[in-house]
Amino acid sequence: MATRPPLIDARNLTRTFDNGAVTALRDVSFAVADGEFVSIIGPSGCGKSSLLNLLGALDTPTSGEIWFAGRSLGKIRDLSQFRAQTIGFVFQSFHLLPTLTAIENVQVPMLETDLGRAERRSRAVDLLHAVGLDHRLHHLPTKLSGGERQRVAIARSLANNPKVLLADEPTGNLDTGSSQVVLALLTQIHRERGMTVITVTHDAGVAGAAERTIRMLDGRIVSDSTGSAAGGK
Amino acid sequence: MSLFTIVIKNLRHRPTRSLLTMVGISVGIAAVVALTGLARGFQTSWEASYRARGTDLIVARVTSRDPLPTPFSSKISDRLRTMPGVTAVGGVLADLMSIEDSPTILIAGWETNTFLWKHLRINQGRLPASENEKVIMLGAIAAEVLNKKVGDTAQIDTERFTVCGIYTSEALSENGSIVMPLGALQALTTRDGMVNFVNMKLDPALGPDGVRQLREAIGRALPGFQSFDASQVSQANMAVQISKGMSLATSLIAVAVGAVGVMNTMLMSVFERMHEIGVLLAIGWRRRRIVTMILLESMLLSLVGGIVGIAIGLVSLRVLAWTPILRGRIEPDTSAIVLLLALAVSVALGTLGGLYPAWVGARMSPSTGLRHE
Repeated sequence: MATRPPLIDARNLTRTFDNGAVTALRDVSFAVADGEFVSIIGPSGCGKSSLLNLLGALDTPTSGEIWFAGRSLGKIRDLSQFRAQTIGFVFQSFHLLPTLTAIENVQVPMLETDLGRAERRSRAVDLLHAVGLDHRLHHLPTKLSGGERQRVAIARSLANNPKVLLADEPTGNLDTGSSQVVLALLTQIHRERGMTVITVTHDAGVAGAAERTIRMLDGRIVSDSTGSAAGGK
Repeated sequence: MSLFTIVIKNLRHRPTRSLLTMVGISVGIAAVVALTGLARGFQTSWEASYRARGTDLIVARVTSRDPLPTPFSSKISDRLRTMPGVTAVGGVLADLMSIEDSPTILIAGWETNTFLWKHLRINQGRLPASENEKVIMLGAIAAEVLNKKVGDTAQIDTERFTVCGIYTSEALSENGSIVMPLGALQALTTRDGMVNFVNMKLDPALGPDGVRQLREAIGRALPGFQSFDASQVSQANMAVQISKGMSLATSLIAVAVGAVGVMNTMLMSVFERMHEIGVLLAIGWRRRRIVTMILLESMLLSLVGGIVGIAIGLVSLRVLAWTPILRGRIEPDTSAIVLLLALAVSVALGTLGGLYPAWVGARMSPSTGLRHE
């Protein structure tokens, strides 16, 4: 990790809630290199989702700073645009819009770009093809299985060709078979696109697929291992 | 797919609520169309009756805001007749009276042998023969409503009058009216030698400047009197003003109720979709796009509701125009300006009703929205 330049540099992150009554993160520092596949694991309430929210600019730290490609997130005025262009999110509960079909859900982030209608549609078709859902383009989320929904969500996360994919328990609501398909997709995206992937997970399989594992406990990083030492052990 | 697709699908996702909101808006806009159409129709009907008679200028003594101006001596007509540029003068006495079982009606006494009568097309019978003949002429619609024909008699106040003729006029309001010789109405109302309007025809060569100078001369020669053209006299009329005021007040209430309805619907929609809005913000939607989406939803609801409301309003106006109390008296105004006004009101209503919900939705942080399941 040290050989590649850091894409994300988190420095002394602390996040408290309820006027300081609850502390989710305590002085967390780490860096993620461009193109890394990192998993963050730890028990419930250890602060890993809070950390992911900060990395994705969905939330701001109580203290500390995050640098992204040499820019401090705190200094970026339009965080929406930053998220649209730079971050792809995959959530545990998929978070697809229930009124839109698969192909429409994938196009939603593209509405923030200059792409024309035909180009948006064409790109959505390609992405759904890439996740193996050519036959489900016009299905509503309610007509899709959990695994298919998560694949639509992954296709949506790639819609604007982001630099980083943040996945919050991406297999948390899936059966074993679907989990393996989703995990294979994340690995493929990381490998083929050279995309930086950061997952928060309980799933040892997902953690095992990452090249680096950060363990958290009580809002702190307790271990950070790479290579064969990594994994959900 | 576009933002509009999402807007449409969001509205269709909750069809009952969208439909009920549109019904609420429709009722409000229908009220606006019907009331505005009636009030404006009332005014234009007045103006039309003056224009049909060929009246260029009306002189009256407007000392109060009564529906009808205060009566004055008909000798004023003689003074007006001699003024330069005046080609013809006709005195009119008008009063609201009851005729048999019908509601109170405006009955006009017109000076005989003047231009006032010339525009009437006589369908049956004849014009009054003299100033004091106890006869009435009925407009075609008034004859139908009263079920009278030439030769019948009608009880007006304390006297019986014979129907001497039935006429048609270009002005719808005159077709629902009753006219009689000026002298006969003066006798009936014990206002001998009195009129409350003098209708004047002017020399067409006078031009706008000549008319203005004539009006100034009338003001100087007859202190306390005012001269109006057809549109001014209808605007100055208290009944017209009351009907317009009531129409405005009722329309405002209807619109306010509609706006609250839209706001309620959109607020509920936003609160139910906090999670979805959080997702949209998380995947990079700007706050202004959230605002646009919510505003488009509320404006679309209002626009469709407005169009339906306009249709209902137009049908209501047709129905109202056929009721005995209005038939032949008011021609409802369904001009493009009224319909455009109603459409503008409906869009404004959607914008107003959607602003606060849009603000609530857009100010939410993405992480807060995502926590709402």
